Amino acid sequence: MASVEPISQTAEAMSPSRPPVPESKTSTIKEPANEKDARMKTFHIYRWNPDEPTSKPRMQSYQLDLNKTGPMMLDALIRIKNEVDPTLTFRRSCREGICGSCAMNIDGVNTLACLCRIPTETSHQARIYPLPHTYVVKDLVPDLTQFYKQYKSIKPYLQRDTPSPDGRENRQSPTDRKKLDGLYECILCACCSTSCPSYWWNSEEYLGPAVLLQSYRWIADSRDERTAERKDALNNSMSLYRCHTILNCSRTCPKGLNPALAIAEIKKSMAFA
Amino acid sequence: MLTPRIMQHSMRRLAVHHPARASTVLSQLARPVAITSPTLSLQKRTSTTEQAPIPPSTAYSILEQQRLKRPVSPHLGIYKPQITWIPSILNRLTGSILSGGLYIFGAAYLVSPLFGWHLESATMAAAVAGWPLAVKFLLKMGVAWPFVFHSVNGVRHLMWDMGRGITNAQVARTGWAVVGVSVVGALGLALI
Amino acid sequence: MASIIRPSLLRHCRAIPTERLLSTNASTFSRAAFRSARPMSSSFPSKRPIQSALPNVHLRGSIRVAAFHASGRREILPPLPQKIQGTANDPAPVPDPSAAHGSYHWSFERLISAALIPLTIAPFAGGSLHPLMDGLFCAALVVHSHIGFESIIIDYLPQKRVPRTRALFMWGLRLGTIVVLIGLYEFETNDVGLTEAIKRIWHA
Repeated sequence: MASVEPISQTAEAMSPSRPPVPESKTSTIKEPANEKDARMKTFHIYRWNPDEPTSKPRMQSYQLDLNKTGPMMLDALIRIKNEVDPTLTFRRSCREGICGSCAMNIDGVNTLACLCRIPTETSHQARIYPLPHTYVVKDLVPDLTQFYKQYKSIKPYLQRDTPSPDGRENRQSPTDRKKLDGLYECILCACCSTSCPSYWWNSEEYLGPAVLLQSYRWIADSRDERTAERKDALNNSMSLYRCHTILNCSRTCPKGLNPALAIAEIKKSMAFA
Repeated sequence: MLTPRIMQHSMRRLAVHHPARASTVLSQLARPVAITSPTLSLQKRTSTTEQAPIPPSTAYSILEQQRLKRPVSPHLGIYKPQITWIPSILNRLTGSILSGGLYIFGAAYLVSPLFGWHLESATMAAAVAGWPLAVKFLLKMGVAWPFVFHSVNGVRHLMWDMGRGITNAQVARTGWAVVGVSVVGALGLALI
Repeated sequence: MASIIRPSLLRHCRAIPTERLLSTNASTFSRAAFRSARPMSSSFPSKRPIQSALPNVHLRGSIRVAAFHASGRREILPPLPQKIQGTANDPAPVPDPSAAHGSYHWSFERLISAALIPLTIAPFAGGSLHPLMDGLFCAALVVHSHIGFESIIIDYLPQKRVPRTRALFMWGLRLGTIVVLIGLYEFETNDVGLTEAIKRIWHA
C-alpha cells in the first residue's frame, strides 16, 4: 500500500478529530453552598474554547443541586451559566421545543435540551456533547453552515408558473393538505441529520434526513409544479441514495416526525415513476 | 479599564516581594461565584475587537482561518447503542463476511490449479469431516449466524423500502425479533 | 465596583501562568508563577519550579495531557479541517442527474435482493438446486456482493477526500468481481454447484 496517498494531510496535534480529555482528568466544579438535603447531580459537559485553538476539547464536570434546578436539561445548563460558570456557551431561545436552537447530544442521544428531562436519579451522571460529527464553534455550539446551505439547495419554497385560478390563493384539497402533515412541523434542529452515520461520513454530498424530509415536503405538495426537477436534483449516487435506512433519524427526532419514512417515499416515487 | 490595571500591577508587585501575602489577598479577592472552587479554569479572551470596522473580505478570511482550527465533536464513540444503528452496521458486517468468504473462495478456486490447492467439494468435505465436533459447530455458527441475520434483516430492509413497518415502535420490535430469530435460526442450522 | 473588578483582575492574574499550560488550578499556579519572579513572561524559563509547586498529581497529569499530547493511535479517515465552499448564503452545489447511479441503480439493487429471497429458500425446500438455478443464484450473489462492496467504498472513501485510494479500491473490486465470476463459473461447471457443495460440507 505504499502508493496510497496519505489519508490525513494535517498535523496530528491540530487534527479536527480531537477526542475530549475525559472528565477523570479535569476538575469538577461544585455548586457553592451545599445544603443538607441537597440532591447533587453531576453533569459532564464538552468544552472547547476557540481562543485557545490548539488545546484539546475537554469534559468539564459540574455538580448541581436538583432541588434548585428546573426539570429540564436546558434549565441545568442555564443555571450553570448563571450561577456556576459564565463561560459555558450554548444556543437556546424558546425553551419550549419550537426554535430548535438547543439541539445537542444528551446521554448519547440527539435531542433538544429544553424537551429533555433531567433523570432524577442522582447516581446517573449526565453527559452533554454538541451535535455529533459537527465542527465545534465553541463548547456546545456547532457550525451548521453546511446544513443550511444544503437546505437552501433544495429550494424550500413554492415553485409554480401557472397563476392561481382566483388570482389570490393556491387552493389545495383536504386530502392533499393531509399529505403535508408530519412534514411541515420540522423545525430544522439538525438532530436527525447529525444522528445519521451516513451523514457523519459524507455530509459534503449527502443531504441528510432533515433536508430530505424538507425536500419531500415540497415534492409531496400538490401546489408545487417543479416536482420532476426536484426529483432530478436528488437523482445521483450521493444526495439521496447514501441513505441506508439506518433509522437513527426517526428514532431521535425530538418532534416525533419520521424522516426515514419521508426518504422511503421519495425513493419509492423515484423508482416507479 | 484603569482600575483593574492598577490592581493588577499592585498585585504583581506584592507577589514579587511578598509571595505568601499575595496568595491570601488573591484568595480573598477571588471569592464570588465559581471562583470559590480552587480548581476552576476561567477562559480568557486573547483576541480583542478592532476599533476600525473590518471589511467583509477580511472578516471572511478571519472566519475561514477560525474554521480550520475547529475540532469535530465526538460521534460514533459517544452515540448511544440503539436497536436502529447497531443491527444496521451488523447487516453491513455480516454481508461483508459472507461476500468476502464467497470472493475469497471464488478467486482461490480459479487460481487453485496454479498452486496445486485442492478446493473441490469432495476434498473439502472430507477435510471438514476429520475435524472435531466443537470446531465444526463453531465453523457452522460462524457462517450460519451472519447468513441468517443478513437474510432476515435484508427482508426487513426490503419492507422499509416499500414504506412499511417504518415507525419507531415497529422498527424496535422487528429489530429485536431479527436478533432472536438469527440466534435461534443459526443454532438450528448449526445443529443439523 | 469591587464586584466588577474582581473577576477581571483574577483573569489578568491567572492569564500569566496559564498562557501556555492550559491548566486548571488557580491558587497553586499563581503562587508558582509569582515565585518565579517573572510574571510577565508568557513562557516559563524552566519547568522545575512549577512542577515542584504542584502537589496535585492529577494536575500534573492534566498538564502532561494538555501540553505534550501526542497519541500514537492513528485514526482511520479522520475528518479534515472545516472548509466551506462559497459564502454561507450560497446553496450547496446540486450534482447533475444521473439515473444510472441513482434511481435505476437503487431499483436494480432492490430487484436483485428480492430475487435472492426465493433463490435462498429453494435449496432448503427442495434439496439442492438445478444447475441453471444454482448458476443464477451464484451470479445474483456476486452482483449483490459487488453492489454492497461498492457502497462501502463510496461511504468510507469519499471521492474528494481520497480520490486515488478510492479509484484503487473501485478497480480492485471490479477486477475481483470478474475473477470471482470466472472462478464460480469454473466451480459450477466442474464441480457439484454451490448449494450442493455447502450441503456436503455442512453434513460432513
